[in-house]
Amino acid sequence: MINIEQLNFIRKTVTKYLMEDYLPFPVNKETCYEWANGLNIKKGGSTILYTGCSYQLAELGKKFDEILPLLPKFKSIEKFSPLAKIFLKPKNERVNKILRNVASILRKAEVDFGYLYEEEPYSGTILLELGMLDEFREYAKKLVNFFNSHEVKKIITVDPHTHYTLFRIKEMLDWNVDIVNYFQLLKNVKIKGEGTYVFHDSCLYSRFLGMRDLIREVIVSSGIILKENELVTGKETSMCCGSPLAPINKEISEKIAKTRAEALKSVSSKVLLACPFCYANLSPYVESYDFAEVVKVE
Amino acid sequence: MSDWDIAIKRGVEHNVPRVFNVLREHPYLEELARKVREGKLEVLSNLDYYIEMTMKSVEKIGGKAYFAENSQQAREIVGKIVGTGKRVVLGKSMVAYETGIRKYLQSLGNEVWETDLGELLIQLADEPPSHIIAPAVHMTRERIRELIKEKLGVDPGDKHEDIVKVAREFLRQKFLTADIGITGANAVAADSGSIVLVENEGNIRMSSVVPPVHISITGVEKILPNLEYALYEALVQAAYAGLYPPTYINVTSGPSSTGDVEQKRVSPAHGPKEFHLILVDNGRRKANEDSILREALLCIRCGRCHFHCPVYRALDGKWGDPPYSGPMGAMWSAIVYNDYKPALLCSHAGNCREVCPMKINIPKVLEYLKWKYFNGR
Ligand code: SF4
Repeated sequence: MINIEQLNFIRKTVTKYLMEDYLPFPVNKETCYEWANGLNIKKGGSTILYTGCSYQLAELGKKFDEILPLLPKFKSIEKFSPLAKIFLKPKNERVNKILRNVASILRKAEVDFGYLYEEEPYSGTILLELGMLDEFREYAKKLVNFFNSHEVKKIITVDPHTHYTLFRIKEMLDWNVDIVNYFQLLKNVKIKGEGTYVFHDSCLYSRFLGMRDLIREVIVSSGIILKENELVTGKETSMCCGSPLAPINKEISEKIAKTRAEALKSVSSKVLLACPFCYANLSPYVESYDFAEVVKVE
Repeated sequence: MSDWDIAIKRGVEHNVPRVFNVLREHPYLEELARKVREGKLEVLSNLDYYIEMTMKSVEKIGGKAYFAENSQQAREIVGKIVGTGKRVVLGKSMVAYETGIRKYLQSLGNEVWETDLGELLIQLADEPPSHIIAPAVHMTRERIRELIKEKLGVDPGDKHEDIVKVAREFLRQKFLTADIGITGANAVAADSGSIVLVENEGNIRMSSVVPPVHISITGVEKILPNLEYALYEALVQAAYAGLYPPTYINVTSGPSSTGDVEQKRVSPAHGPKEFHLILVDNGRRKANEDSILREALLCIRCGRCHFHCPVYRALDGKWGDPPYSGPMGAMWSAIVYNDYKPALLCSHAGNCREVCPMKINIPKVLEYLKWKYFNGR
């Protein structure tokens, strides 16, 4: 059920890549920042929009999970790395659209923010979520130094995993920074959405970060109609999409996704969500949309 | 859909709304749960003291108390009391499963029967249990019919009621002729030496009252400071397990007794003439020294976290080392079997933490166990 060789490979390689390159696996950096091209977001600043390359890597992560069982067979990651850089370079227009939309929503809300472009680091989520806490702490120190050296005082996150990870880093280390999620900044902006959906809560937003009601308020005030069912969308009953288990066991991860998709479909055929990993795991089984791809700012 | 998928879907659909309803209808239960947590923490913060107090209290009321360091000691103690060639009836006890009591007693030449219906099915199929409250939750009605037909030689038919009837007839005869009854304990009251057991089937009453000897085997973490708290524990366990009010709560304080002749309390009366309590450690005290793992000792085995866990539901009930399954099982596999691997499968959905009556931060404990795994601790 658990392939330890695979886990050890992740532990070794992901840590090595993070420590060297601020990304969990070899990937063309443009993949992470191409969404911002042409938007004239200033580089850096004390308040930054921080994607953690999460949306951009989610689909890629799925491909990585697929080839993961094969990877420990490579004698060294160096042999794998040039190969990976070639085929792990997706062009993801959907993701670019989501991130552009988040940026324009924030601008409309008159939030002043910068972006780190090619320098933007990954958060370390995978190490934290797999329980590789020593390696995570080591990387977290590097990350804190990085942000401090860039004089970052406030970080605006766009996905639950990155948000939660920064929150945990703050808990572990002495880090004077303000972490806020983009949903928390939307009070003064009129967002327009339409259609009827069932909302698939991100476990982290809903149960670990206390943002369940806030997100629902934002969605509903946009005009979107949400269908609820106590046994499917309740705080205690809404289930994980299975994504965090993909690096451990792809079959279990997919089984959880299928079961979740079936439950959601019983409430509404269209699913709205707000997490790139939920999207990656659920979208093969149900019509899924990210909140930031279905709404517009007025 | 596999048999498991069908069975667990039916189980969840029956159980989850029922627990929500119970909690809505009886709001005092949340307060009782809070008190039970408080009481358990009080004991854990002074565990050796409370173990000693419990043992003294049991002796004071005419029972015998034992402390077992590990499974082997627990088996030896039970083996000495039971001997050989006896008929033994067992009320569902996870600690009895953990310590391998049934198979050990069988190996000594005893006839041993599980009397909880789910557990009996597990015994007949010779399979590990898949849920702490409903050990046979992985079996569909159709499979159970076949199993009973094959093992007991009677076709019970397809109806739930008829399946239960066949089991009842089979077990009744075992209860009435048993030499020894073995049960667990939902809670043990340190001040009085009483054990509290909660059930619905009536099998625990029969196992603890009809045979002339009653043995209770349980973990040291089941101790509560006094009988008041121990009774609360039974109510809370029943409610969060979904069957409330429970059909029966049993309090056993030593062997049977009467005060009817001139008000002098004498023992035995009609029930057992002997009562034995075995308190098992098996990793619990070590876990108690660890401030994060200690939380897991608060578990009252209601099984609610299982039904809310996406991983448990996807894994055919095979998550954790039997009898400890599901989110609580991933914690308990580490405590009693030193197995940290099940924790690796936690997807940190967090539903378990939301529904746990003891407010155990299960994802945090499991994250910690993952860390321990990677560090070879
Ligand atoms: S961990 Fe909590 S919810 Fe799970 S069985 Fe124990 S008490 Fe019940």
